[in-house]
Amino acid sequence: MPDIFISPEEEPKRQEQAAPESYFSRPKRKVSVEKLYGHTHNPLTAYAYLPERINFETKEKEEKVVLLLRRHPITNVRWILVAIAMGIAPLVVSLFLKFDFVPAGFRLIGVLAWYMITFAYILENFLNWFFNVYIITDERIVDIDFLNLIYKEVSDANIDKIQDVTYKMGGVTRTMFNYGDVLVQTASEVPNFEFLAVPSPDKIAKILQDLRIEERQEEIEGRVR
Amino acid sequence: MNIPLLGISVWFVIKIFVLIAMLLYIAFALVIVRQVQLMTKTLRVGFEFPLRTLSLLHLISAAVLFALALIIL
Repeated sequence: MPDIFISPEEEPKRQEQAAPESYFSRPKRKVSVEKLYGHTHNPLTAYAYLPERINFETKEKEEKVVLLLRRHPITNVRWILVAIAMGIAPLVVSLFLKFDFVPAGFRLIGVLAWYMITFAYILENFLNWFFNVYIITDERIVDIDFLNLIYKEVSDANIDKIQDVTYKMGGVTRTMFNYGDVLVQTASEVPNFEFLAVPSPDKIAKILQDLRIEERQEEIEGRVR
Repeated sequence: MNIPLLGISVWFVIKIFVLIAMLLYIAFALVIVRQVQLMTKTLRVGFEFPLRTLSLLHLISAAVLFALALIIL
């Protein structure tokens, strides 16, 4: 039955109930952004919530970056170990094998070239990790892929095009270090976005869900940009 | 040690191959520099200077190594 009379004391309470509060709207209250989980100024982080100095090519002026994600740092252990092995390899080899038949100049250049290749290996793997990012803004999700040194791919989808968000964590390492995959199905040109080996996938899924609610709320209120 | 019939030193032939390989490596280092430039334009997180420096350092090292090989070998 419709209300005939609403007491002025009750009215504000009703309005509060009408607007569901989302995770993303939390900073609107007097909660310091600095204290929020994942908020950091470290450019080498794998999980940055509401990062301040992030900018990407297609970012619009009013667009706000909510999350910046990379693969969990633990996924770098393999190539770091290989790089260490490559670093000590010339010393180990020189203990067991004598290259006396090779002129001294060739030996020197050989060792220097080997360390140069090691440096390139480290640089390429680091760049691969650093530039493979997933960005979630208040309007869309962006996947920047740095597949190899001569190929990059940037794809994005609007938040309102997201149809389904699934996350999965499995295995000892992933459980221990709390990282996993977040799979986002969209109705855009790119049907699937895969955030692979990202930290705290549960929190990412929650943030995406909250952003979708926020977007729907904006649509209802006619605040769509 | 010479290659029969040709009378060229084996090490001289190896030197040529090493120098060609190093030239190719310099081209690879140039690609890295260019790609880092493009990627730092695509994504800016406040770590652009160290990355560009590293890629340039890599290119300079490759060039120095080539010069060194040209002189020493």
